[in-house]
Amino acid sequence: MTSGFSRREVMAIGGAVASSAALTPLAHARMMPQDMDRDVFAAACRELRAIVGDDWVFADEASTISYRKSGIPDLRGEHIPSGAVAPASVEQVQAILAVANRYRLPLWPISTGKNMGYGMATPASSGQMILDLKRMNRILDFDAELGTILVEPGVTYQQIHDYIEDNNLPYWIDVPTVGPIVSMMGNTLERGVGYTPYGDHFFMQCGMEVVLADGTVLKTGMGSIENGNTWQAFKWGYGPYLDGIFTQSNFGVVTKLGMWLMPRPPVYKPFMVRSPNVEDVAAITDTIRPFRMNNLIPNGVLIMGALYQMSMFNRRADLWDGEGVIPLDVIQRHARANDIGMWNTFYALYGTEEMIAAMEPILTGAFEATGADVLTAAEMRGNPYFEHNETLMRGGMTLEEKGLVRWWGRSGGAVAFAPVAPAKGAETIGQTELATEIMNKWGFDYAPAYAVGGRELHHIIFLMFDKGDDEHSAKAEQCMEEMITRFGERGWAAYRSSVSTMDLVAQQYGDANREVNARIKQALDPNHIIAPGKQGIA
Amino acid sequence: MRTRRSLGFGRSAALAVGLTLLAGAGLAAGLSGKANAQATYEIEPREPEYLYARTCGYCHGHNIAPIIRGRNLPPAVIESIVRSGMGAMPAFKPTEITNTELEALAEWLSQSEVDPEEHGG
Repeated sequence: MTSGFSRREVMAIGGAVASSAALTPLAHARMMPQDMDRDVFAAACRELRAIVGDDWVFADEASTISYRKSGIPDLRGEHIPSGAVAPASVEQVQAILAVANRYRLPLWPISTGKNMGYGMATPASSGQMILDLKRMNRILDFDAELGTILVEPGVTYQQIHDYIEDNNLPYWIDVPTVGPIVSMMGNTLERGVGYTPYGDHFFMQCGMEVVLADGTVLKTGMGSIENGNTWQAFKWGYGPYLDGIFTQSNFGVVTKLGMWLMPRPPVYKPFMVRSPNVEDVAAITDTIRPFRMNNLIPNGVLIMGALYQMSMFNRRADLWDGEGVIPLDVIQRHARANDIGMWNTFYALYGTEEMIAAMEPILTGAFEATGADVLTAAEMRGNPYFEHNETLMRGGMTLEEKGLVRWWGRSGGAVAFAPVAPAKGAETIGQTELATEIMNKWGFDYAPAYAVGGRELHHIIFLMFDKGDDEHSAKAEQCMEEMITRFGERGWAAYRSSVSTMDLVAQQYGDANREVNARIKQALDPNHIIAPGKQGIA
Repeated sequence: MRTRRSLGFGRSAALAVGLTLLAGAGLAAGLSGKANAQATYEIEPREPEYLYARTCGYCHGHNIAPIIRGRNLPPAVIESIVRSGMGAMPAFKPTEITNTELEALAEWLSQSEVDPEEHGG
């Protein structure tokens, strides 16, 4: 672990940032909307300022800089916003949409804009104005009997965590890997996952409020029943179930979201299964699947590759200074030195002492039969890799995964590819071989994890690169395109995508899907002002 | 001076809403409160220590990013790095940390003591 930058370096870099932000476009800090004159844009901004106040429209180089930042490759400036507008209420969102319709100003909604690996706050195409919903940050309802919560877009997992602690409420939250700065709504709408028994976030979502492009306010499920009190208790409502069309979507602006929270268990016991060989992932997957299906393992299981784990707490140069990708034997040596295997599987048991005592030997025996060690806090306490996942599986706060972004050094750079597959061992072997071949060809280290839901798994691959090096960024872009394409040829498609590859992935889901999405979009947002290009929908 | 009570971004607002709701749920023995209009950190700035612990401190001094306490880093540099997100660090917008909060955070951080519990990354 290195000591970081010197004061002089900080001053130099910070000074450069400050001066360039003020004097230059900061290598394209912002770009005008396509086909819109500056005068027209300025007029739109004046109207937006009248709605939200002068302080909450950002339309110059310096004030837009925070919205420009992302870790993905963007060599041709294709994901640069024109500015940002930040409403504080549903009424202001409606008024902003009216202005956007009048000026044909495209808006890219974000909640906190921390979509790590997928483009952060940046839009699918340059010139879109960020609709920053972070100021809408209230926890509107917390039903302590039902364990339900209703939040606005800007509410972070940290905020809910603090609220639960402050009020000593008997519930846990389920977090993605970078919970403290991330919005519960944002992650859920992107259909992100976590690692407790409530890890499938969209499955645990119940009711939402959506502002449509024409200003209509729609409450899904039971939300529109006069004098109703079941909005966060019953998901399905009456007639077609609509919530799904507003996830990974540009059909509306979601302004409220209901979620179910997990009752805090009396006892929580985390486990780590340490497997020594790359090929062990198949047996591990086949062992997990039946236990996830019958719920003996109740939580979202992570099979972490050693390099993924080590990239959180190390920089690449700490492990390897030779030519080419890091050889397997070097990874194995470092893994052993850190008391981890080539794959490390994390699951947990939740319940009473008696329940856990009954289940533990069944699971331990099954995993040991794969040739792995099954370890608990008794052996692993103090090991940062164990403690990282121990934190996640109880919905704890951590940002350690941010560490992998600086794998290649100070400039940072990471873009995610997450194909899904049936939770079968042969699938993991096939995907791991294909990803290793493609990534190594382009000179990148394969740093994987598999998140096993019930009958499926998400293969989470962070392609780490040096964003400060244009040649390296270009390779990252080409490598990602080849991975998406060749995985697609095998029938493996991504469940989510970086803003830079949304159209490419959408093509793999077929013309009929695209056409239906296009028709819905045309019906709900005929001027295409909400997030054009999101998930390949114009 | 800011008080501990004023820490909550909306903690005070959320707490007030929650207490009302909890009272309705019959779990608020000894608590009372009433839902207020939105009172966010735009109105009641959060203290620098609070912001540091809940944002910066998850990475800085925690294996992931360099130690930044006790180094007399110039406040202007801190502010510009927070807004632009240097290198692997994400950028933080005025909607997440207001200009008033950032000014106080940068000043506090610049003058802060080394925390022996922290370790760099």
